Amino acid sequence: MFELFAQSAFSGVLAGAYYALIALGLALVFGTMRVINLAHGELVLLAAYVAYSAENKLHLDPLASLPLAVAVVGLTSIAVYGLLSRIKKDRELNSLILTFGLGVIMTNAILMIWSADIHSTSVPWHHDAIILADLLFAMNSEVFFGVAGLVVVAGLWWWLEKTWYGRALRAVASNRDAAKLMGINPQFTEILSFAVAGLLASVAGIAIYSAKVIQPSLGHHLTVKAFIITVLAGMGSVPGVLLGGMLLGIVENLTVTLASSALQELAGMVLFLVVLLVMPSGLFGRVRRRG
Amino acid sequence: MANLLDVQSVRAGYGSINVLWDMTLGIPEGKLTCILGPNGGGKTTLLRTIMGLIPASAGNVSFEGRDCTNEKTWNMVSQGVVMIPEGRMIFRDMTVEDNLLVGAFPKKCRARYKQNLDMAYQMFPRLKERRDQLASSLSGGEAQMLAMGRGLMEEPKVILVDEPSLGLAPVIVDEVMGILDNLRNQGRTIVLVEQNTNKALAIADHVHLVRGGKVVLSQDADQVDLAHLHDLYFARDHQNAS
Repeated sequence: MFELFAQSAFSGVLAGAYYALIALGLALVFGTMRVINLAHGELVLLAAYVAYSAENKLHLDPLASLPLAVAVVGLTSIAVYGLLSRIKKDRELNSLILTFGLGVIMTNAILMIWSADIHSTSVPWHHDAIILADLLFAMNSEVFFGVAGLVVVAGLWWWLEKTWYGRALRAVASNRDAAKLMGINPQFTEILSFAVAGLLASVAGIAIYSAKVIQPSLGHHLTVKAFIITVLAGMGSVPGVLLGGMLLGIVENLTVTLASSALQELAGMVLFLVVLLVMPSGLFGRVRRRG
Repeated sequence: MANLLDVQSVRAGYGSINVLWDMTLGIPEGKLTCILGPNGGGKTTLLRTIMGLIPASAGNVSFEGRDCTNEKTWNMVSQGVVMIPEGRMIFRDMTVEDNLLVGAFPKKCRARYKQNLDMAYQMFPRLKERRDQLASSLSGGEAQMLAMGRGLMEEPKVILVDEPSLGLAPVIVDEVMGILDNLRNQGRTIVLVEQNTNKALAIADHVHLVRGGKVVLSQDADQVDLAHLHDLYFARDHQNAS
């Protein structure tokens, strides 16, 4: 029994790292623009399909398709910004309608281009097993992307904390008018947040393609996961999002191991509702005062 | 004497509500110009219009002789026009030091951010003690100091200060006024928006009284008759004014 728990927790932690990447993209865009990008999961999925095409047409390892995925997904992400920035009235509500619609369009475009088949990488090293301490089992790609996810999250955290543009992005999220008075152009930080969200989505998409399976309807599940994690963590905390991602990963894996894989999505929602009920500002969120 | 900053017949407001009616005033270089007036008179609106935070519907604003009406806020900042908003407009969920460093964001200020940070800490030692704390944990006075320190990190040519005494204890107000006095004595150009007439008059070179979106009195501070000023301030001049 202990092995089962340990194995589930281990798999959950590894999955949590790339869950966090997806959630951080969503949170960044929300921070600068106060918009929830409901097409964010589809951006992640797009990266996964770019990796799939690169492997089949160009015989590239999924890792080698990262630059291509970043280019395609980054540009798509900025195009989403382009559409969002044209909304002049009631941005909060209209942006939900717009991004939900974009998500549906992208899902169907993916269905048209790549068909409804289930795909995963067929490059063998990704699926080879690693056994740690005679107890914990994982695929190479799971461990690789678990670690890579942590490195990217740490890099993002450093960028937000220690660089001019990272601080500018946080300033815009904190108080938009005051940020303008500091010589910051908020539109620029908005584009930047979409570009960085696209970069994070690309890494996460390739992780999913390498370590899991992809199919066209996965996109909105990913958006929901990202949303759950962001709310779990409370807005504006990078380590919080990482822990939230891992928590969701562990809960999902335990559910699959101990109950049924049919309940995996439900488990996340239950976790979400419980946390909202008990700690409305999130596990790591600060209580925000207005004004 | 040429003015550093000129406001000519400016109209501005919020949506369909107009606040400034043909506002005209000049800000001379190296002086402390005080803009006094009752609540809702348009003092803060004037500063926000100069900074491009709200658009002017008529008239023009010029800085160093160049027209900059409705210029983007961030371009005004990079030209050296800096507004220190009231202390509530600090970045509450960032640390004190990060707040100051955001002030050094304009490209021309980044090279000297270390010297400027030291200068800000020297001027406001309390901020240095609290450099790693979240700005939301600061008291009202400390938040005002932070807003001022952050503004000075932007290497301003002219500093527009919005109601620095708002909601602060009298002893802190004296400290804030003392700092503004010093900054002027170092040759900086300051525009001080205030409701606290006595404190502001004590350090001002020039005074403009703004009421109902218009300038109703412009005088050198040492020529101001306080009783007359207060009559105008509280609109007790209806017998002999239009």
